[in-house]
Parts: sequence; structure tokens; C-alpha cells
Amino acid sequence: MRPLNYAMLKYFTTVGEAGVDDVMDALKGDYAGFTAFKRDKMQEALMTAEKNGLIGESRVDLDGNGGLRVFYTATPEQRDTINSYIK
Amino acid sequence: MEETSAVSSTGGIAEQKKRELDASFFKKGILVALFSSLMYGFYTAFITAGESSQLWLGWVSAISPTAFLAVFILPTVASAINDSASALWALGITAKQGKLGDFGRTINTKPGIILIMSALVGGPIATVAYIIALSQAGTIVVPIAALNPAIGSILSRILYKQELGPRKIAGIGICVLAGLLIGSASLTGDSSSNMALGLALAFVAALGWGAEGCIAGYASCMIDTQIGITIRQCVSGVVELFVILPVFALVGGVSLGETYGYVGAAVTDLPTIACFIVSGFSAYKSFASWYRGNSMCGTALGMACNGTYTFVAPLVTWIVVGLIMNIEGYALAPIAWIAAVVMIVGILTIAVDPKELFGKKEAA
Repeated sequence: MRPLNYAMLKYFTTVGEAGVDDVMDALKGDYAGFTAFKRDKMQEALMTAEKNGLIGESRVDLDGNGGLRVFYTATPEQRDTINSYIK
Repeated sequence: MEETSAVSSTGGIAEQKKRELDASFFKKGILVALFSSLMYGFYTAFITAGESSQLWLGWVSAISPTAFLAVFILPTVASAINDSASALWALGITAKQGKLGDFGRTINTKPGIILIMSALVGGPIATVAYIIALSQAGTIVVPIAALNPAIGSILSRILYKQELGPRKIAGIGICVLAGLLIGSASLTGDSSSNMALGLALAFVAALGWGAEGCIAGYASCMIDTQIGITIRQCVSGVVELFVILPVFALVGGVSLGETYGYVGAAVTDLPTIACFIVSGFSAYKSFASWYRGNSMCGTALGMACNGTYTFVAPLVTWIVVGLIMNIEGYALAPIAWIAAVVMIVGILTIAVDPKELFGKKEAA
């Protein structure tokens, strides 16, 4: 089992694009009990990864309740970087 | 037509909310980085307070100020106790947050090992290089060590391709100038014969801290900051206590029993250990915020904000040790206040893009 932050980044090597809710859905089976498994903390982790070039922002939209959804994607180069650091 | 307009309006609201989210993330990053500087001030103040306790002053007054024990061993004892206390704080808080499992899983991974190496370079190696530099060349090394934000930014440009345009370079230059101004205030003309070695080691310290800020900041975008800082403080505390201290004892011809006797006496003296417990907590918060701030703002801005410690550390030390503990000799030189204003100008130069600022005003 990987640390939560690693699992979040690794997820982007397996999907075209994803927002924080998609990441939480995909990881809740193993990580829902973790104290860091909270939307705001995970959104901040994704923004930090984006700021450092590990993933890129693909688009933004609003959900049914008018809440912001930010989607991220990893280019082949970014996937290689993530895979080189996280096995 | 109405449908197209609704979609466009929704897109506009989403873009607006995203801009607000980005602005809040940016602001939070700067506040975290500045907080690291404030906590560095408390760390410096309380480690100084620990070294000003009755017990400590009794040791120092009994030996020559230039003796190996005074120059190398006692400062390392203080640093080792502080970093060990800091490691215990970090471990306790990691346990409370339920992250000990992730801590164990992170250590033996590539980012974990990178963090351990950068902690070694920035922790024991840079700190010891700085202690020796001070003893060999005097306080002239202080401004050289203050070059570390510039070195960190240049390394980030080379290693991680972080953007470093003319505006950021100018801002870093202004911040380094401010650090040099404060450092120059501490010049006392007490340089010794081994100036070249001292200056070289001061540069090693600046390089070590710059490399740590840059590499650990990048690793913190993969590793949870709480876990990252726990690794850092554990590595630093263990290496200083069980590697650096015995090596210094052997080199200086001081017995291990006597060396660890100082550690034991400091740990069991309540006024002294109370200061180190507070300094250890402050160091934990300072380094955690340093890593987090660098990963959120980028190394150039994060280290420039953290670099305000060159003003904040003497300021907090003056308040705690000078004003509260009533020990003389910690008042700030007038040039430090001028340098603080210069630093703020430098940070604003890095952080604020005039094009965006005026663009926003026009839009408003």
C-alpha cells in the first residue's frame, strides 16, 4: 500500500483526466479512514503537484450545486516523472 | 442562443471561482512561508535562551571562549538536543494525526530517500559547516550564509526548470542585499587566521541550506509535509546526537563520557530543557512551513519569504532574551530595521507581477 499522496499522483498515470472528487472516489476503498482523506486537503495537494509541474490543469467547470470542479491531467512526460519517483 | 449564453456564463463563473481559488492558494503559500520565518525567530530565541541558562553559563564561564569545547562541542550539544526534541514533537504530532503508517511507508521510497539526503545536507552538514566557519573566520561568514535563498532559486531553475525571470532575479537580489546588510551589522573584526577555510565552509553552509530548500520543497509536492518534516527532524536529531557529537569529541580530545555528560545535565535541568522543548517545537513548525511554503510558492518566493528570518530571528531573540529575560547585548542595530524594509520590497518584487496587478485594476 502506498502513502496517500503517492496514490493520488499515481492515479493520474492511469486516467485521462480527473478532479479531486474522482480521485477521492477511486481511492476511498483503501484510504477513506485516513485523516488526510479530506476534500480541501486533497485539493491543496493536487494544486501543489500542479504548481510543481507533476500534473497540469486541463479544464474547470461547475457541479450541480454551483461548486467549482478543477480537472487535472498528466502528459506522457509527467507520467514518466511520476513513475520514476513512485513505484 | 440562450443555451449558449448560459453555458458561457457558467464557464465565466467557473473561471472566476478558479481565479479566486488560485489567489487564495497563493496567499496561503506566502503566509505559510512567512510563518516559517516567524517560527525560526522563536527557534533561535529559545535555543539562545537555553544556552543562557544558569547551568549553561556556568559551563561557558569555566572554559576559554576559544576552547574546542566552547566553539564546537557545546553549540553541537545545543543543536543536537534541539533537533532531537523537535523530532519527538514531529513524531508525536504525526502519530496524533494518524500518519505514522504513511511515515513508515514513505522512508524507503525514492522521494523519501531524496528527503533524507537533503535533510543530511541541510541539517547536520550545513549546520556544522556554519559552526566551524564562524570559529575559523568570525562573523564575516554571516552574510555569506545569507546567500542561501539565491542559491536555492538558481538550483530550482537548473534542477526543476522553475521559472526565474528578470523580475524574480531582481527581487532575490534585493532580498540577498538586505540579508547582507543585516549580516554586515554583526561584523566585529574578530576574524582569525584561517579565513579562507572559514569562507569556503560558510559557502558550503549556504549551498547546503539552498539545496535543502530547493530539493525538499520539490519532494514536498509528493510527500505529505507532516511526514516530510518528521523524516527531516529525525535524521537531523539522530545524526547530530550519535554521529557529529562523538566525532567532535574524538577530534577535540574530549571524552565521550564528558561530552554526553553535558547532554544529560542539560536534559535534566528544568529551566534549560524547558527552553529546548519550546525551541524544538518552533524548529519543527519553522522547517515544516519552510518545506510547505517552498512547494506552494516555488523556491524563489518561498525562500525569499523564509529569508526574512535574518531580521525576524534577531528581533524575536531581542524580545525574548533581551527584553523578557533581561539579558543585555541583543538589541537590534538600526541597519536591521532598514534592511527589513528592503526585504519587504524584495519579496513584493518577486511576488507581484505588475502586469497582473494593473490588469486586475483595469478589469475592476
